[in-house]
Amino acid sequence: MLEVKDLRLYYATRKGVVRAVDKVSFTLEKGETLAIVGESGCGKSSMAKALIRLLPRNVHTYDGVVSLDGKNLMELSDEEFRREVRWRQISMVFQGAQNALNPVLKVGFQIAEPLMIQEGVPKEEALERARKALRMVGVHESFADRYPFELSGGMRQRAVIAMAMITNPKIIILDEPTSALDVITQANIMNLLKKIKQEREISYIFITHDIALSSELADRVAVMYAGQIVEFTDAEEFYTNPKHPYSQKLMASVPTLRSDKKLEFIPGAPPSLLNPPPGCRFHPRCDKAIPRCREEEPPEVAVKEKHYVKCWLYA
Amino acid sequence: MSGNGYLLEVKDLRKWFEVRRGIFSKPLWLKAVDGVSFELRPGEAVSLVGESGSGKTTLGKTILLLHEPTDGKIIFKGEDVTHLKDKKKLMWYRRETGLVQQDPFGAMPSFMTIYRILEEPLIIHKVGDKKEREEIIYKALEEVRLTPVEDFAPKYPHMLSGGQLQRVAIARALILRPSLVVADEPVSMLDASVRVEILNLMREMQESRNITFIYITHDLSTTRYFSEWIFIMYAGHIVERGPTQRVIRNPLHPYTKALLAAIPDPDPENRKRFRDVPPGEPPSLIAPPPGCRFAPRCPVAMDKCKKEEPPEVEVEHNHFVKCWLYV
Repeated sequence: MLEVKDLRLYYATRKGVVRAVDKVSFTLEKGETLAIVGESGCGKSSMAKALIRLLPRNVHTYDGVVSLDGKNLMELSDEEFRREVRWRQISMVFQGAQNALNPVLKVGFQIAEPLMIQEGVPKEEALERARKALRMVGVHESFADRYPFELSGGMRQRAVIAMAMITNPKIIILDEPTSALDVITQANIMNLLKKIKQEREISYIFITHDIALSSELADRVAVMYAGQIVEFTDAEEFYTNPKHPYSQKLMASVPTLRSDKKLEFIPGAPPSLLNPPPGCRFHPRCDKAIPRCREEEPPEVAVKEKHYVKCWLYA
Repeated sequence: MSGNGYLLEVKDLRKWFEVRRGIFSKPLWLKAVDGVSFELRPGEAVSLVGESGSGKTTLGKTILLLHEPTDGKIIFKGEDVTHLKDKKKLMWYRRETGLVQQDPFGAMPSFMTIYRILEEPLIIHKVGDKKEREEIIYKALEEVRLTPVEDFAPKYPHMLSGGQLQRVAIARALILRPSLVVADEPVSMLDASVRVEILNLMREMQESRNITFIYITHDLSTTRYFSEWIFIMYAGHIVERGPTQRVIRNPLHPYTKALLAAIPDPDPENRKRFRDVPPGEPPSLIAPPPGCRFAPRCPVAMDKCKKEEPPEVEVEHNHFVKCWLYV
């Protein structure tokens, strides 16, 4: 359904060009959830911005192919994209969005807004559908007539999810949707997202730094490191048998409640995206690096069907 | 040390904050910590676990006397330190205790070099002369593995990464060789790959120096790697406390059970099942529900739970729970 190929998003800064998203390719099927995991500064959020085309002013390069149902969205003008794609086909739950609701507008109105603006639905009908959407996300519809401060953090997050769903998009991008919430509230929101996924054939792109949490939704997983996808595979494969040395280390650093394992850490820090190291970007921190890793960028190798690893060890 | 072998005893400690509601109305109280008791021996590490707003940070800061306690007692090395007025005594308590904060960037003055940041507590407490202080500072940097120390000492905070800066914060908290350290979410702002490293470092230093360590966190899954004791806080109360492994393997309080059920381990099966967690959110601390504060969300609440506050019961040796189910 969604096919992304060689997507690039570079920013121009005073210090130079930041290569936040650097030739990223992946596919997403209908009703499937793709989790994009990585540490802070690896380009996950920039990728989301590139997909929904909400770009800052200092864009240096923005190219590649993003095709939805066979149509290349990159060929659309900004105005066409806004009118036809954003929110109608791809919507988003932003990081910390529950704290970004407009404090002086009623919650129901804010949920209904995309309908009125994008589809020209009359106000009364839009508000009615907003109430329905609130019910769907497990908030009593009377809260439509309240202001954001009257809702708890978890309820506001549900309202933001209702807002992303109201136009019936094909894809919802969830950028750290629960990062400011408590663990029990987080589990409740995950239950809600699973329920929505079961009831409607919706696809999620779930962006998170939390590997354990990513397994709550992911059918497929893409691991990002320094602006690139270094591994892309099915959930079953990824959580039990990750192949890229970075994925393996990342998995070994996740503390677990139910199994006894010795935790590991990755020495060093992720590289600057201003001036990433030559060859494989992970090689300075990789204990399996061979001389070739320092010089040549590794290709994307299919180690199995639908399991891609960007690493010389498998080439 | 006091006769009973405890380093720290906290007795029915309360910290209420006044929230005013206009000139004529009565003041309201936000009961952030509302009757907490426990004891710690020298060299014991405890994880204080709770959700945001449960009072865990307030408890940590009140123990360090960064908040004035509203009621109750704090006994440190056999001395009542609850309301220290004597400046000399307060200096002693400050020297005996240390704090590591969540955000290392906010906790460091940006205009000071790392060297100056570490030297300041030594100057305030009049430790050594210039030469001796340099020795202490270099040794402290070495211990938190910021080497070569000559490179790090003249740097400013913005030149360091979050993980490196958190090491400086640890070095600063430990430089006066305190016997009690509170670390408030010390790794939650750091990347996953660095967290373990910092936790290991803290654990190592805690053990080698026999420091009593209170590790405040919302992340139950890291506690196993850090402490032998665990305290679970909910709405201003400690609802369960006991040995870490026992609390995780055999949780007693319905809230602890919910908390454990909410936390995923990486597993592809997770996406196929729903988590069994109670709905709702923690109560307001201004007007908490009568009886047990978890009762409104508790799946097994009885009538009594909604009326009377449960007592703390020792169900197994050293394993306490504040719940009517076990009375």
